[in-house]
Amino acid sequence: MIGVAIDENLEKLRELTADVDFPILVDADHVLTELYAISNVPTVVLINEDDSIAMPNWSAYGSNLFSEFTGVEADRQHDRIRRWVRDGDAGMSTSEAVAAVDDLTADEEAARLHFRLATTCRDRGDAAGADRNFDRAAKLAPYDWTVRRAMMPLRGQDPFGETFMNLYGEWKDAGKPYHGVRGY
Amino acid sequence: MANHPAVLESSGLLSEAQLAELGWHLKPEGLCQDDTCVLVPDRSALVHDEGVDVAVLADLLDRPVVVDSTAGLVALGSPRAARRQALRELTAPDFSLPNLDGGVTSLSDHRSKKRLLIAFSSW
Repeated sequence: MIGVAIDENLEKLRELTADVDFPILVDADHVLTELYAISNVPTVVLINEDDSIAMPNWSAYGSNLFSEFTGVEADRQHDRIRRWVRDGDAGMSTSEAVAAVDDLTADEEAARLHFRLATTCRDRGDAAGADRNFDRAAKLAPYDWTVRRAMMPLRGQDPFGETFMNLYGEWKDAGKPYHGVRGY
Repeated sequence: MANHPAVLESSGLLSEAQLAELGWHLKPEGLCQDDTCVLVPDRSALVHDEGVDVAVLADLLDRPVVVDSTAGLVALGSPRAARRQALRELTAPDFSLPNLDGGVTSLSDHRSKKRLLIAFSSW
């Protein structure tokens, strides 16, 4: 297992992963959200020995802690993972996997670039530049949680508070868009 | 790492040094990285006295680009070919990122093994 945190908060990440024994990588620049078209977390990708993808962007959970919220049964997901490990078959055909994940639009690509410009501006003490770029990123990818929710703690907003609740409402009204497989 | 995005100090033109930082060199054959060269159909559009036009470069390399002239920064994204490799060819593109132990881990460090990659966050 390889955990990639779409995050820059080392302290929080260390806390969260204190009991974890697999590699935890820190993706502060959101490299993976562009490379794998990831728009929300958690997103799981099952990769075979030969680097082929057995299951692309999958909203899989470690437990049923959020199942009432997400409508996802984690146990069945775990069965699927076990089957893949044991038999090399994740139960998704190639044609289904290829069609499952929509590519990023030009706006979604640009949103990621503006997010990186925002954090760079922030690092250089350019608060106006950070704000300008975060705002632009949010406009370009309004339903992308790796853009809109990820920026909340970086802008002094609570990602579990009212700003997030508003984002959740907008996202729900838009049909819960997600760059990933559905129904697995 | 070739697949990785970059943010550079620039208002739209890149120096030879910045180009080299990205892993690319301008040669008679074209724009080259290791053994691969990309043809440059219109050299004058790419190369100016003051530097290489980043928008033209991005187009040649099929990478997204944003220029923030107010901040004097340019953000260059990953090659679209790498993401398409993931989505259309179902081949996992490699990447290298810092780990919590203070080192760097690449996806390819664990090649020839099954890998469950999980993107998560604290937010």
